[in-house]
Amino acid sequence: MKLLCVDSELVYREIVTLCAEKENVEVRTASTFQEAMSIFTGWLPDLVVLDVVIQGGSGLDLVRALKALSGSRFVPMIFLTSHSSDATMNKCFKSGADDFIPKPFNEVLFNVRLKTHMRHVELVQEMYRKNKALTYYQTMIEREHEMAHQVLDHIQNRSENNRNWVAITRMSAASFNGDLALVKTRSDGVRLAFVGDFTGHGLPASIGALPVTQAFFDAIDEHISLDELAIRINRMLFSILPDYMFCAAYLILMYPTGELHYWGGGMPNAFIRRNSGKLDQLQSTHMPLGVLPTAEFESDTREDKLNKGDTLVIVSDGVLELKNGQNEMLGAAHSEFLVSSCYGAKSLVQAQQVMEMELSDFRGSSVQLDDITLVALRNTNSH
Amino acid sequence: MSISVTVHDSQKTIEIAIIGSFDFSLFNDFRAAYSDYIGLSHAYIVDMSLVEYLDSAALGMLLSMRNAVGAECVIELKGANEFIKNILMISRFDKRFDIQ
Repeated sequence: MKLLCVDSELVYREIVTLCAEKENVEVRTASTFQEAMSIFTGWLPDLVVLDVVIQGGSGLDLVRALKALSGSRFVPMIFLTSHSSDATMNKCFKSGADDFIPKPFNEVLFNVRLKTHMRHVELVQEMYRKNKALTYYQTMIEREHEMAHQVLDHIQNRSENNRNWVAITRMSAASFNGDLALVKTRSDGVRLAFVGDFTGHGLPASIGALPVTQAFFDAIDEHISLDELAIRINRMLFSILPDYMFCAAYLILMYPTGELHYWGGGMPNAFIRRNSGKLDQLQSTHMPLGVLPTAEFESDTREDKLNKGDTLVIVSDGVLELKNGQNEMLGAAHSEFLVSSCYGAKSLVQAQQVMEMELSDFRGSSVQLDDITLVALRNTNSH
Repeated sequence: MSISVTVHDSQKTIEIAIIGSFDFSLFNDFRAAYSDYIGLSHAYIVDMSLVEYLDSAALGMLLSMRNAVGAECVIELKGANEFIKNILMISRFDKRFDIQ
């Protein structure tokens, strides 16, 4: 630690130097205003001790000048002076001083104050270092999130969207998790959908998305069965991901007849909004993908049917846990109401837009904490 | 500290109590809470009666604990409120944990 002592009298320069050096502080002294300015600029001391009256200028002006020079650096300025009236003391503090010690010199008092200010400087420096480290990590994480977003967006582009039979919405939160939604029509007209939610945030979450996407599009080409696809993805994620990561998901196969096969693990209930206005629910009955070894994995699927005009709506838990300005969650009942009322619209794309607006109205000005994924599939065939 | 560990010597049971938000911020602390007892204890209790919120990262941390302590050990998840119990059931944690 470095201390600059500014005093016209040699005896004070010597005694301050003596006391400070006992505390292992490096000391340089100045006897004039100009000298003080030039040492301060060139040497960058951590502490300054000065008198009110100095050759070549006033101590008050010097404090103002030095404080301005220190910028964002915290440099305590301590007046040591025989001008100890309240009025002078007041002026000293107003000009930016951090402390005021009256002369005659009291060694005990000076040492106590010096140590206090040294501790202060150390704390501020420590804080500065930590702040710098945090800023570094924050920047790094922001970049990772950007990258993960880009990867997921790229994947998402391979999916079909905004048709009269499919609508997918992803509303990304600032700190996003790993929602993934893929829908594709096979050459035989059968449609395959994957709606998943990875544990974790940022880059780790998107890493799991890559192999899942590969398996999904392989399944489109190979026409493999739904239970086989579930087994494949589970096996892959089980071997790739660390044991604290998994993927909650629905896998859906929709035939041109509207017949529906689905496998669900770890996801909230999905909805079928019947053309009549009735609301049915699909339940996810399994553990998420990537948790169980193949021998224990349950691949059994369930069945349902979409008649003409019926809409299957899958929402991620980000929708159910969406919070409004009063910190209340949207919850299951309100979600059901919104799905019932929005998806009656003739155009699926429009219905989806209305649903998005309803969710954003509910949220109001509160911050969206989690990614939101909404997938709607409708049977538009006349079987 | 939002995690506390109690050792019940008589039953050789380790009880881990979590307070507040059970999320990714507890990743290291939660692992540290049980890792010293691996192989020494056959029963664990995770007291969740003071947990207000639980995210998917916490589910992952519980699964990681499940793997670490070994299949022969019982892990009881105790005192979760309805909201949290629902999250545990959606992910079928009843298959691997004793949910009370």
